[in-house]
Amino acid sequence: MKEVENVLRILREAKKFVEEDKPNELKSLSNQTVHAATIAQDADNVIVAVLIYSIGKVMERDHYRTMDGWKDFYDAVIKNLELAAVALEKKSIDNARIYLGRIRNSLNKIEGDLGVYVKDVFRKAEINKAFKLHEHGLSTEKTAEMLGVSLWDLASYIGQSHIGDSKVAITMPAKDRVKIAEEMFG
Amino acid sequence: MDEEGEIIRGVRGRRGLFGRWVEMKYLIFDAGPIISLTLNGMLPVIEKLKSVFDGEFILTPTVKREVVDRPMKIKKFKLEALQVQDLIARGVFKMSGDVLSNQKLDKEMKKILKAANGVLRTTERKEKISIIHDGEAECLAFANICGCENAIVIDERTTRMLTEAPQNLESMMEGKLHMPLDATLSLLDGLKKFRFIRSAELLYVAWKKDLIGVKKDKELLDALLYGVKFKGCAISSVEIEEMKRLAS
Repeated sequence: MKEVENVLRILREAKKFVEEDKPNELKSLSNQTVHAATIAQDADNVIVAVLIYSIGKVMERDHYRTMDGWKDFYDAVIKNLELAAVALEKKSIDNARIYLGRIRNSLNKIEGDLGVYVKDVFRKAEINKAFKLHEHGLSTEKTAEMLGVSLWDLASYIGQSHIGDSKVAITMPAKDRVKIAEEMFG
Repeated sequence: MDEEGEIIRGVRGRRGLFGRWVEMKYLIFDAGPIISLTLNGMLPVIEKLKSVFDGEFILTPTVKREVVDRPMKIKKFKLEALQVQDLIARGVFKMSGDVLSNQKLDKEMKKILKAANGVLRTTERKEKISIIHDGEAECLAFANICGCENAIVIDERTTRMLTEAPQNLESMMEGKLHMPLDATLSLLDGLKKFRFIRSAELLYVAWKKDLIGVKKDKELLDALLYGVKFKGCAISSVEIEEMKRLAS
């Protein structure tokens, strides 16, 4: 894990925002992590970004709180964010990974719709973060690898990016590139 | 002997009609264009393009992994993976290992990765910024050592920028990362000037040669180009409009 101090700060702040019921702050915290993840190109940072963003999205949806299993999920979030932060303070990175993983695993124990809905939030968050990482300049291949998603999943999201529309992104006049293609095909 | 009078078919060329030596041409595919074409239902067009191409369409091992092996394990994309696999089985795509040894390709790929991913460093902490990955580097490696006329089909913008406009790379990445970077562009000196096209240009050629199978008009070209743009091809609207003007 790279940027351990930064991840520790993020986890501490995330726990505080969960307790204070501030989903927007959680999502903004996640964006900071994406930035760090791009520089470090470190999967752990991305996992934290996805996790924090997902928790933010889940907390935005008030009706989830009335569904069966909400308390179990909420308690798992608070408990494991704390345990992961303590593990990082002790430089026990493997344990921190286990505790962060337990938040997601807690969804498997929830019976009924909530588990399915929240899993879907996590999956969409992975794609969302992949898009952000790509916007930050990571290649599609590296982005997919860091998030464990396929290039196929990313393709549609990358197509929504406006990066290709910037002038600096045009590295050759269109007519010259067409000429290469036409030359190749005789 | 085929209709072109083929006698020898090798890596660098073959005997064509009347014994004339024809140098081999290669179109080297990255994963992105295959994905964007497949997701647009344009995979059959690749086969039609191959039928009018005097050379081979090449896939490297990493690209095959991304377009066949991995999606084969994902139910959502298994059908697409099977279709691409079928194109390999029928020889529309040829594996790079049939032309060059994987070992040789791997060695060249590592050399390219080292050079390309050492170009940019953060000014403050001198951390390297990795900008290309195995699949793209394998395509560049094949192009570098195959010794034949070739072009790389790649939708990824950053890889193209690396050799076409490396001077822009630093400012573009600085803008994205919001931090100062230092560039050592001399590291790219060893890389020859590659030729890149995208899935968009492939479709342009297919459209021009009337290979799409839909009534050929400007609306079709517009739909094709925006279709790949929204499925991952890094092409700007300005470029699309320019390509439409070229078609007039």
